[in-house]
Amino acid sequence: MTRRQKSGGPGPEDGRLDHLLEDDPAELYENAPMGYLSTLPDGRIVKVNRTFCDWIGRPADEVLGEHFQGLLSMGGRVYYETHLVPLLRMQGAVREIALDLVRADGTALACLANAVEIRDDDGVPLLMRATVFEATARRRYERGMLAAQRRAEESERRSLTLQMVVSDLAAALSVGDVASVIVERSREALHARGSALVLVETDPHDPDASPALQPVRADGMPDNLLQELRDAAGSQLAVELARGVRSIVLDDRLRGVQPGLSAAMAAGQLTELVVAPVSADGRRLGVLVLALGAGPDDLIDLGRPGETAMLTTADVNLLWTIGRQAGQALERARLHEETARQAERASFLLEAARLLAEAADVAETVDRLAGLVVGRLADVCVVDLDSDEGLIRPAVRHSDPARAHLAEELRAHHLPRRSKAHPSVHALQSGGTQWIRTVDDAFLQSVAVDEAHLEVMRALDLTAVAAVPLTAEGRQLGVLTIAADTRRGPFTVADVEVAEQLALQLGLVVARAQRFDLAVRTSHALQANLLPPAPPSLEGLAIAVRYLAATYGVDVGGDFYDVVQLPGVEVGLAVGDVVGHDITAAATMGQLRSVYRALLADGPAPGVIVDRLQTGWPLLSLRRMATALFASLDPVSGRLRIASAGHPPPVLVDGGRAGYLPVRPSRMLGAPPSQAVEWNGLLPRGASLVLFTDGLVESRSADIDEGFDLLLAAASSAGTSDPDALCDHLLSELTGAHRADDIALLVLTRL
Amino acid sequence: MFAHGFGCDQEMWRYVVPEFESDHRIVLFDHVGAGNSDLGAYDRVKYNSLRGYADDVVEICRALELDDVVFVGHSVSAMIGVLALKAAPELFGGLVMIGPSPRYVDDGDYVGGFSRSDIAGLLDALDANHLGWSAQMAPVVMGTSDQPEFAAELTNSFCRTDPDITRHFARVTFLSDNRADLATVGVPTLVLQCSEDVIAPEVVGRYVHEHIRGSVFTQLAATGHCPHLSAPEETAAAIRAFLPE
Repeated sequence: MTRRQKSGGPGPEDGRLDHLLEDDPAELYENAPMGYLSTLPDGRIVKVNRTFCDWIGRPADEVLGEHFQGLLSMGGRVYYETHLVPLLRMQGAVREIALDLVRADGTALACLANAVEIRDDDGVPLLMRATVFEATARRRYERGMLAAQRRAEESERRSLTLQMVVSDLAAALSVGDVASVIVERSREALHARGSALVLVETDPHDPDASPALQPVRADGMPDNLLQELRDAAGSQLAVELARGVRSIVLDDRLRGVQPGLSAAMAAGQLTELVVAPVSADGRRLGVLVLALGAGPDDLIDLGRPGETAMLTTADVNLLWTIGRQAGQALERARLHEETARQAERASFLLEAARLLAEAADVAETVDRLAGLVVGRLADVCVVDLDSDEGLIRPAVRHSDPARAHLAEELRAHHLPRRSKAHPSVHALQSGGTQWIRTVDDAFLQSVAVDEAHLEVMRALDLTAVAAVPLTAEGRQLGVLTIAADTRRGPFTVADVEVAEQLALQLGLVVARAQRFDLAVRTSHALQANLLPPAPPSLEGLAIAVRYLAATYGVDVGGDFYDVVQLPGVEVGLAVGDVVGHDITAAATMGQLRSVYRALLADGPAPGVIVDRLQTGWPLLSLRRMATALFASLDPVSGRLRIASAGHPPPVLVDGGRAGYLPVRPSRMLGAPPSQAVEWNGLLPRGASLVLFTDGLVESRSADIDEGFDLLLAAASSAGTSDPDALCDHLLSELTGAHRADDIALLVLTRL
Repeated sequence: MFAHGFGCDQEMWRYVVPEFESDHRIVLFDHVGAGNSDLGAYDRVKYNSLRGYADDVVEICRALELDDVVFVGHSVSAMIGVLALKAAPELFGGLVMIGPSPRYVDDGDYVGGFSRSDIAGLLDALDANHLGWSAQMAPVVMGTSDQPEFAAELTNSFCRTDPDITRHFARVTFLSDNRADLATVGVPTLVLQCSEDVIAPEVVGRYVHEHIRGSVFTQLAATGHCPHLSAPEETAAAIRAFLPE
């Protein structure tokens, strides 16, 4: 140590100062402003100064021989053993280790210790020398700093949590995604045992009903806890609890008031539930529930029973903010989902509309529609239609092939018309949608017609049913019934709306089809009445006729043929084609044929018939034009006369040769009249005359000339003069499965 | 395989390991969170139980394709060894437990040596040294380049750990209760008991010995909790005596 130079002026205290600076090492050791001590490697104190002894309030002779670690607090002892001793051994010195000495009166003295290890030449430890500084103020300051640092870290953690929540939410498109983010992040942020998002669901069909609470996601929550919480809060959970961040602490008061909730919390080793509102623009959407407990581990709990760590204001603010972020994200996700649902719904309805537009046959259309419904909307789809024979079920479909047989059985059971409980019947009678949100066994029993019916319905495992009436032009045409099984879950409002849209379209299609059916039936009746019966059996002639209606549209057309025994020996032949193939065409054909028959009374020549029809057409008020060919034949002589009103010429087949008779057609019937030109010739014995309408030559080929050539080729290759065989041969050669036009064919062979 | 306990790292074994290098394959490692381990691998959930550490031990054995391992665990690692054995008994041939304790906190008639408030005090002590550690690092950080040796001297260069991890490891160490796992040990076991060990008192060592069938109890003259540091020769000799010839 360097002594102060006596360079300054003399002073009265100089002498005493000199005395004091004459340091006595022993005095300095004993009374130094720090504690000194030396210990053996095992911690036994072998030398200690007075300062140290004064600090801890014990005399030196009592301290000597004690273990240094024995003077420390328990925490300090563990720290000494686990840190100080190993460090000293390995690096020979330690600095500024914080230790608490326990004074004689039991109070703690915060200290900092530095220590060195004195070793012999072989490195074997001999002694530890330590200096100990009192650090009460410093420790207080450090604790303050530590607390500040912890707070800063907490604050940083919270802002990080919030950042992550915001960024995760930006990527969350569905309500499910939003729920996952919120539940996971809030649980992490509060080190909660569990977390759940419970949303309020308002029923748009019944806005006055108390809102249902739907847990959309729960993580780490005891099974029955949310139910108990809902029971405890009643329907007021969302409304009441969501006014602010609320804390429900498991204490004696709660045990008394809410034994169920308390038991659930205790079973889950929870100490506190925190409920934070989830809202957007003031609308309460639900609540975030966090379950706090003793820690998600199997470690021993240090806390005293009943002791709970209350949430800090910062945590409350964090939850409040997360709740609002969640609310906004939920609104956005719902909008997104609704848009997606609408697009999906539009595409479904478009597909249904396309299917319905293609409708030709009601039963097939309804069946295909039911197939579409069970693929996209429901598990079971049944369509009942009102008919002359009562209700019929043209479609019963199931989405699951394994359960399709149940649906088939359902088809066998008729709709119980008298059971008002049955939603389908009720829908049909009331004209309004019937939606059974929850199907239970009592419901099934109330609608079943018999035990077998009940068994089938039970096996279908239904959870929801909706029946929508098919209405068009103010009439109830039937009912569309859809059902969901427990695997699909209940219908949403949107599902039922889609079913209603579908029923509206289907109703229109069914109404149209029913009118169409009526037309078809009428046409058939007309045709049956208008077509002549089988040709008469005539001496010296063999005759065969064929009539094939077009395959598209109504099964009747305006084609006709006629064979009649005229007064005298001659036979009258006719073949004609009224434009169009509908009821009007059929009716016109019938009228034409009647007029023709009337004209035959005085046995006019074919040319006269054409002329009379031409001139009389306006008087007859026939609504369609027609082509026709009339002939008279003397079966004995073979004399044949033919006149044509715009009609294709007949074919003469004679001994393997075929040719068109050169009949010059006049204008069509209904066109401005022109003079008919009659063809006169002979039908040899064994030859066949083929009369036909243009459907025969237009069926295979769009090119009518090609069709005429095909007909000649077919006729000449037929190798038969039997009229039936020839008819069949020509039809098989010239027609396919589909015909756009009717075909009338008449073959006559002179024997 | 030597496994360090709470508070330090594999450097603790430096005075004992040479004794066994000649006739054993030595495996030293730092628990995740300690020493030179990858702190990024520290998973608060996994390491919220000693099983997380035990799983690592098993993983190391499998990665190194070890068998007939003699696991030497100090302090908390003695119990980690018990759990590793329980998870993969086929890997191990022997267990040496230095200063073991299956539960530090007293529980009814069971004496662990610590009350609940003692443990709370320990966690406080760790907090108190939290800033201390940082302070000791300060000269290096500030770059006292003119006195590099001084900076190095100031630094507690061994056993540096992240304070938060240390605190968590302390919680898991001192709040675990693995008494029931002792009965699962089915290999020859040596319990090394120090004298005057405040962390693992003799009564606790006796408890461990009594609950592991066929275990050998050896009382060391060495005092404190780290005989492998304070009395490496005695410790090594005790282990050597336990090992088969």
